This record gives sequence, C-alpha cells and structure tokens, in this order.
Amino acid sequence: MIDFEKDNAIVERLSLQVSSFQEGFKILSDSKTLEEIGENFVHLLRGNLLLTDVNLFYKKKEDENWQTLFAPNIKSKEFTEYLKTSEAFSLSYEDDKLYKVYSTLRCVDESYFGLVIGSKIDRSGFNSLDVITLQIFIRLLDNAYQSYISKIKEKNLIFSLNHKVVQLNSLVDTGIEITKLENYTQLLELALERAVALTNASKGVLRILKNDKVIGSLRLPNSINIAEALESPDKIETRVDYRGYSYIVTLLDKESRKGKVPFDTTDEILLMAFARQVHGAVENKQLHKEALENEILKKELSVASSIQKKIIPEKLPSIEGYEIAGINIPSKEVGGDYYDCRILENGKVSLVMADVTGKGVPASLLVSSLSASLHAYLEMNIPLDELAVKLNKLIYASSTSDKFITCFISILDPSTGELDIINAGHNPSLLLKKDKTLSKIEAGGVAFGMFDMGLPFATEKRTIDKGERILMYTDGIPEAMNENDEEYSDERLENFCIDKCFHDAAKFIDEIVADVRSFTKDTPQSDDITALYLIRNK
Amino acid sequence: MVADFNLNSEVKNDCVVISTSGYVNNLGGQKIIDEFNEHHQKGLNNYILNLADSKVVNSIGISFLIEVIEKLNESDGKLVFTNLDPSVDKTFTIMGLFHYAEKADNVDDGIKLLGNK
Repeated sequence: MIDFEKDNAIVERLSLQVSSFQEGFKILSDSKTLEEIGENFVHLLRGNLLLTDVNLFYKKKEDENWQTLFAPNIKSKEFTEYLKTSEAFSLSYEDDKLYKVYSTLRCVDESYFGLVIGSKIDRSGFNSLDVITLQIFIRLLDNAYQSYISKIKEKNLIFSLNHKVVQLNSLVDTGIEITKLENYTQLLELALERAVALTNASKGVLRILKNDKVIGSLRLPNSINIAEALESPDKIETRVDYRGYSYIVTLLDKESRKGKVPFDTTDEILLMAFARQVHGAVENKQLHKEALENEILKKELSVASSIQKKIIPEKLPSIEGYEIAGINIPSKEVGGDYYDCRILENGKVSLVMADVTGKGVPASLLVSSLSASLHAYLEMNIPLDELAVKLNKLIYASSTSDKFITCFISILDPSTGELDIINAGHNPSLLLKKDKTLSKIEAGGVAFGMFDMGLPFATEKRTIDKGERILMYTDGIPEAMNENDEEYSDERLENFCIDKCFHDAAKFIDEIVADVRSFTKDTPQSDDITALYLIRNK
Repeated sequence: MVADFNLNSEVKNDCVVISTSGYVNNLGGQKIIDEFNEHHQKGLNNYILNLADSKVVNSIGISFLIEVIEKLNESDGKLVFTNLDPSVDKTFTIMGLFHYAEKADNVDDGIKLLGNK
C-alpha cells in the first residue's frame, strides 16, 4: 500500500534541498581535476547527510584496483572489497559492518566510482529521505564527471586542432625560410628540425649519399649514435634523389605523454612534404648558382669583347699599289683570334695574324699584351727572329701554362714586294703566284708562350709580285665543321684561293666567309673565323 | 644542430628563472615541470622560462608548458617566456599559450614585467 502521507513529506523535504543540489552540482562541475571532484563530493555528502566517514574511490577499468580519490579514513580502503562492479549502479546497506553504505557507479567512459560510507553523526539509521538524497548526489557526481570528461575532450580537441594549424603553418614557413638560407647545411638543418618537432619524433637523422656511400649526416639531438638510432623499429623514412646525390631523412621514436606511439599517416605526409621542400630548395639553389655563373660569364665575355674591339683594327690602312681586307667573326661573344696591319715609321707594313688558346677575358688580355708589345718592338726595327724571342719570353711570363699564341708576322716593303716573315706555330699563309700555283709560307718556330728554352725562330724571305696575293688566316676556316662533323679542310681552302681570283680583296673575304657558311649550314660556329687578304696591284 | 636537453634555474627578485637548452620534447618538458614543481611547492609563484637555447619545441613539450600555466593560474602565479625564437613564438601564439602567459625579449625585461604585475 502506498503511504501518500509519508511520500508527500519526503517530496516536501526534497524540494527544500533543491538549491542545495543545484549548488552542489555547480561545485562538482567546476572542479578542475578528478581529485577535486572527489574531495568536493565527499564534503557535499558529509554536509547534506550529516555523515562522519565518507570515502570515495575510483578505477579506470573494471579489472583494475581501486584508487583512493578522497578518503579521510585510510582503513576504509580495506572495505572496497564490498564494492560491486557487476552492475552499472549499486547501493547496499550493511548494518553489521563498520561501514554501512557501499555504492558503485559505472561512468560513461567505463570507469567506476566506489563509495564507502560510515555512520551518521547521530548514529541513527539511514531513512528514506537519506537514501533518495544519496542517490541524487551520486547522479550529480555522474553528471559532473561527464562534464569533466567533456571538458578534457574539448581541451584535447582544441590542442589537436591548434597543433594541426602549427603543422600547416610551419610547413609553409619552412618552405619560405629554407629558400632564404645561404648554405645547404643550414637548409638541411632547418628542414630536419621542423620535421622532427612537427611529428613529435624524439630523434631525427638526415644522411647525404653519393653513389650509395654516406658522405655527410645531420642528427637531432647532437649526441645520438646514428647507427644505433637507425636500428629502432619505430621510424619513418623518405628519400630524395637529385643530381647524383641522395638525401635520406629518418624520423625516430614518436613521443606521447605516456611513452612511445607509432607514427601515423599524417606524420608520413608531413615528412614527404618537408622532403619535397628540401628537393625544391636544393634545386632552386643550384639553378640560381648556375644563373649567377652564366651572368658572370656574360659580363666577362662583354669585358673581353670590348678589349677585343679595341685591338682589332676598325679600318685597315691604305697601301699604295696594294689592296687589303680583313675579317674577324668570333664564335662566341669574343674569341682569341687577332689580326692587324700597320704602316710603320720606316714605311714598311706589318701584317699580323694570331690565335690564342681559349676564349674570354684571359685570351683577350693575352692578345692585348701581344698587340702592345709587338707594336713597340716593330717600331724599334728589331730583326724578326730577335723580336720573336722577346715576344715568346714575354708571353711565357705573362700567361698560364695552358695559354699560348700561334702567330704569323710579316713585314712588307711595299716598294719591292719583299716580305720578311716569321711563323710561330701558326697555320701556313698561302701565297698565290701569278701562275696560279699556291705556295705555303711555313717559316718555323713554336707558338709564343709554350716554352721558355731559348729556342730559335727561323725567318723567311718571300716576294709578292704584281698580281700575286697572300691569304693569312686562323684555323677557324679549315676546321669549320658541318652537321656531319666534317671539316671545311685545308684542301677546300686552297682550291678556293686558286679558283677565286677576285680583283677586290674585300670581295674575296666576303666570298670565303660565304663559302664556309654554305659548308657549315646551320651548324653553330665552333671557332673564330679570321682572315687577312693582300693583293699586289702594281 | 640541437644539443641534448639541459636546464638550470636561479631565483632573481622572487622570480624563478628557468633557462633551457636543447629540444623541448617529452623529456625536456618533464624536466621543466619537475623543476617548476620543486620551486612551486616552496611557494614561489613568478616564473620566467628562458628558451634562448631551445629553438625546437614539439607539442608534447608544449603540453607540459600548458600544465605549468594551469598550475600557476590556480595559485595566481605568473609565467613569462623570454628569448623566443620567432618560429617558437609563432607556435606558442597559435597554441594559445599567450592567453595565459606573457612573453618578453629577455630575462631582465621579463623580471620587470613580473614586478609590475
């Protein structure tokens, strides 16, 4: 039978406690730690039910041992054996035991609270109101615990989201930062540091290999033994290959607050992204370096070109009774070929054709030295063989061992047609006689600057008669190549000289260049083309 | 490259200055909080964490730093980070550490900042 009168009295008493329950819930749900929840719960129960001895225990899983959350009486732990975890909620009263009330509560995360309560202060038994009040407080504990768990999850979620933002941001920043770094080591160090930190790896190793041999390595932290570290089973690795070098990045032992955990897919993606950044940065640096080198080369060639322009005559002198024309077509911006023709103070005419090994500034500076000293010596009327010895010494002293100059020098007496000639290792000049026979002028000696052993230079005397011609040239003409790697050849040059006896020296020069071009077609010019052509008209 | 983690601490004007070097990870973070706890238990409430020689910090290390901040919030204490590498500064900003802690360019500025609180 229902005792309505009694029930109404309980409801009335409980309604008076509503604010106490509300306040209690606020205190419990504001608690920051589990221990704080436990302590607050115990105080609430003691105050509301006027209890002497309230003890709260907790365990993460059913099969674990109870841990004390808040137990004023240490002995109470011995009574946790009466706590039942077979049900989601249990509440039992044991009048014959030291502790009278035993309750367990299974929480939302499968953990358990265990409650062991002694007597009331007035030693009276637990009435219906006490039981209901106790049950309400246990429900409040359950709700507060759920709130506590939610807050932890929310905190962890925010932390995790922020960490993802850090990862993304760092990936972008690292990509920008490494492109600004001056040297490769700094670049690789930064990439390794970021990859280790963002994946929570405890260690990292970056190895640089050439032909599968390790030629360098970086590690984080400094003290780790690379060989030992690489033996760890908990690692992820990626490899980048570039121009014969391999970069292997290994991240080891992912951390968590509770110890080592396996690397996940995000870590692998991050590592690969860092590796791609390193690859891009290394490639960009290399391309930048090459671009700078090209720029330096261009400037160097430009300087050399201006030197060359100053020493090759813009206009050849007019020699009475003779016609002369010359040409120099450098293969790049500037070459090592040189020619000149000057009327000397004694009325004689110097004709010079030279070829320096190499190109660019060093070659043009050497030609410049040759030109300056040659003219000084020529005006001193020094015999050609002595002049050659002096020039050889000077070129030898002012050039490196791989630099030398082949040179053909001829002094023409315009009135007689007599030629005083010396040839320092240069192509023989071609003298076309009136009878259309070709004579090669090979007057001997080694190239200037090759040896400084006092070797003599033999001079030769020739005469150019009326109607005869001389072609001086460099090897850029006979060695001009076509698409089949065939040379224009000495033979074709000699035949051209015999067949094309133009009266106009300039026309001959234009035609010989055109003939070379028709032979080489679209094949890029491999060497300078230089020629000087002299015709005696009177 | 990054050295092994190490730290030292000193008390200046009632501020505990903890200076670290090396990677602030699980190991480094644990050492920081152990050092912090030792001083906190003695009632010291103002802290400077000088990270001049720690340019690499991972999220596990940061979780320890958050723990330090939470404990100081409960005891009305203060924490100032000093000498931060720009990348660490940015990471701490994104992780929200500066909502509950301050930063200063160097230790002296940090001490002044705590003195004005």
